[in-house]
Amino acid sequence: MSRSARILVVDDEVHVCNSIAKVLEISDYIVDTVLSGEEALKKQGANEYDVIITDLMMPGISGMELLKVLKENNPEVHVIMITGYPSTKSTVAAIKSGAIDYLPKPFTPDELRRAVAKILE
Amino acid sequence: MLLRTKLILSFSIVIIIGVFLSALVGVHLIGSTVISQAQDKVRLDLNSAREVYVEEAENIKNTVRLTAIRFFIEDALSAHNYKILIEELNNIQERESLDILILVDRQGYVIEDPTDHNTQRLYLHDDIVDWVKINKKAVVSTEIISGERLSNLNPDLAQHAKIKLIPTPKARPRTEIEETSGMVIKAAAPVFDRDDKLLGILYGGRLLNRNFKIVDKVKDIVYRGEQYKDKDIGTATIFLDDLRISTNVVTADGSRAIGTRVSEEVYDQVVVRGIPWIGRAFVVNAWYRTAYEPIRDINDNIIGMLYVGILEEPYVDLKNRIIIIFLGIALLSGIILSVIAYFSATHITRPIKALLFATDKIAHGDLSHRVNIDSHDEIGQLGESFNHMTSELQKATEELVGLTKSLEKKVRKKTDELKKAQVSLIESEKLASLGKLAAGIAHEINNPLTSILINSHLVAEQLQDKNDLARFLAIIIDETERCAKIVKGLLQFSRQSLPEKKPISINELIQSTLLLFDSQVLVSNVRVEKEIDERLPQVMVDDNKIKQVFTNLILNALDAMPEGGILSIRSRLSDDKKFIEITFKDTGCGIDDKNIGKIFDPFFSTKGVKGTGLGLSVSYGIIKQHDGSVDVQSSLGRGTTITIRLPVQATDVK
Repeated sequence: MSRSARILVVDDEVHVCNSIAKVLEISDYIVDTVLSGEEALKKQGANEYDVIITDLMMPGISGMELLKVLKENNPEVHVIMITGYPSTKSTVAAIKSGAIDYLPKPFTPDELRRAVAKILE
Repeated sequence: MLLRTKLILSFSIVIIIGVFLSALVGVHLIGSTVISQAQDKVRLDLNSAREVYVEEAENIKNTVRLTAIRFFIEDALSAHNYKILIEELNNIQERESLDILILVDRQGYVIEDPTDHNTQRLYLHDDIVDWVKINKKAVVSTEIISGERLSNLNPDLAQHAKIKLIPTPKARPRTEIEETSGMVIKAAAPVFDRDDKLLGILYGGRLLNRNFKIVDKVKDIVYRGEQYKDKDIGTATIFLDDLRISTNVVTADGSRAIGTRVSEEVYDQVVVRGIPWIGRAFVVNAWYRTAYEPIRDINDNIIGMLYVGILEEPYVDLKNRIIIIFLGIALLSGIILSVIAYFSATHITRPIKALLFATDKIAHGDLSHRVNIDSHDEIGQLGESFNHMTSELQKATEELVGLTKSLEKKVRKKTDELKKAQVSLIESEKLASLGKLAAGIAHEINNPLTSILINSHLVAEQLQDKNDLARFLAIIIDETERCAKIVKGLLQFSRQSLPEKKPISINELIQSTLLLFDSQVLVSNVRVEKEIDERLPQVMVDDNKIKQVFTNLILNALDAMPEGGILSIRSRLSDDKKFIEITFKDTGCGIDDKNIGKIFDPFFSTKGVKGTGLGLSVSYGIIKQHDGSVDVQSSLGRGTTITIRLPVQATDVK
């Protein structure tokens, strides 16, 4: 890999957001964090992210809507869906809409690293 | 008024009218028949009486005629031997019971004994003598001879003929007090000499006054002297004008009613107008059925009457007796008819009473009651119709009761279903709100758990030494993961949504569930034995949910056998072929008796940190949603057997 991968973390919970960012930064990824879907879309417009990790349930634009818009703008973008309310239904919906992985909260740093590494291999 | 009373009353009226009318007509007919018979008899009797009278007259005529042709008269006349002649005539008169027997000459003078002291020649002026002079043959006739002339002929006779008039009711008024004339049957015959020259006329007669020969002969011949209550039934009378001169009618003192007279009414008809009287008449002192006819003299003048009469009393008594008998019969028939009417009315009204009784019974709900009428008339038909109607009514009522029962049953069933649905609705609403709550909690807790888990891992990664701090951190991580597990279980429990059923092969579902455990089974040193019935039918289930149940049960079994063991999974069709039975049998630690009742309670767990206490509870809920059942048998230290029963015929909950 010629450069460090850029990762955007989207979650309305600031501690979750920062914790995820911390894990990924330790692994030498370039990480940006935003607290809403709207901010995420702005960030995505200004930067090229290799992976976008987004929460499913957020006020305003939900994770699922965000996923759809991101996929429309750039079908190549890799999106990992994380959620505190996992269900088979939402998992299937997310994968169908183009999410590459689905992580139910809470997860360990290793699980997160494995999921991201699998994408960027 | 009772029907029976009405019937009896109508019958009685008919009977009374019938009996009364027939009695009336009968009595009238009997009366008139008896009386008219008596009257007819009297009419005939009068003929007989006339015959007797005429015979008497003929006898006198013959006596006179035969005497007249005897030669002694001519001989005596030609010899002028008058004494002998008179003697001989007197002898004949006496022998023949004649009151008069005299000979007159051609001039009409009586030929007498010249030796007799009475020398004055008596001229007999008499109609029948004149008639014989002219007609030259014998004749007989009834004539009136005045008292004076009688006296001339025979003073004794005149005396004998005298009759005192007795005052008689209803008779015509008469001023005389005595009748001196005599009624005489007279005969006259010519006396010829040998040259057929008229010598004289023989003249004889019999006085009827007080002469009872004829009337008694009539009585004897016609009535044979019959008596009724000491009275002669039949009577005969010869009247001179209106006076009884010869009779066997008796007065109250028992003597012959000589001197009494006929009623003016009869007199006027018979004597004055010459018409025979036939009818009822009061004779002397009793009512008689009578017949009168005129007696005429030679010149056809009515001079008296011949009478016959039958005492009415025997006929009246007979009539009364017959009427009494007839009335008795009528009364008896009336009584018999009344009795018959009474029983008829009872007989007629009995079935009606039975019908009335039956109607009352049916009106009070006893539809099994039937009338029993044997007659084949309209009432019998009514009874049959009634029974038919009643049985139809009974049938209809029974049907109605049946319908009502089945309706009640249906209503009860529907009510039960409704209650069930309501309960399940309440339960699902409860679950839904519990689900929402759990989802909220899960979401809110999972976020901080994520932060805690990540950050504690990050700290742990920083600590290279395995000091106490690292141990503390490990506890934090473990407990955080336990929290995560609980939240996960809570989420599962909250997601008891309605199953989405489709036809599924239970055997395949068992297989695919077991695949998930392949690696885990190998590690845990557990042997899995399967006993699968390949002929199981497909059942309508939600495969995800049933799979979740199987997963939970297999997980529990594996957890119960940490040292390894045998997990037997068996599927079969129940004996009644209504259920599929899936049995999970382990050889693990078993469940304490006191805990068996609690294993399906939410958050009950014996696994400590490893369990959430929600697995069996969720499984139980799922099986219940499929109308199935869960059976647990366990003995501590030997293992647990859990049997799930799912119905072959799935019922749609909604």
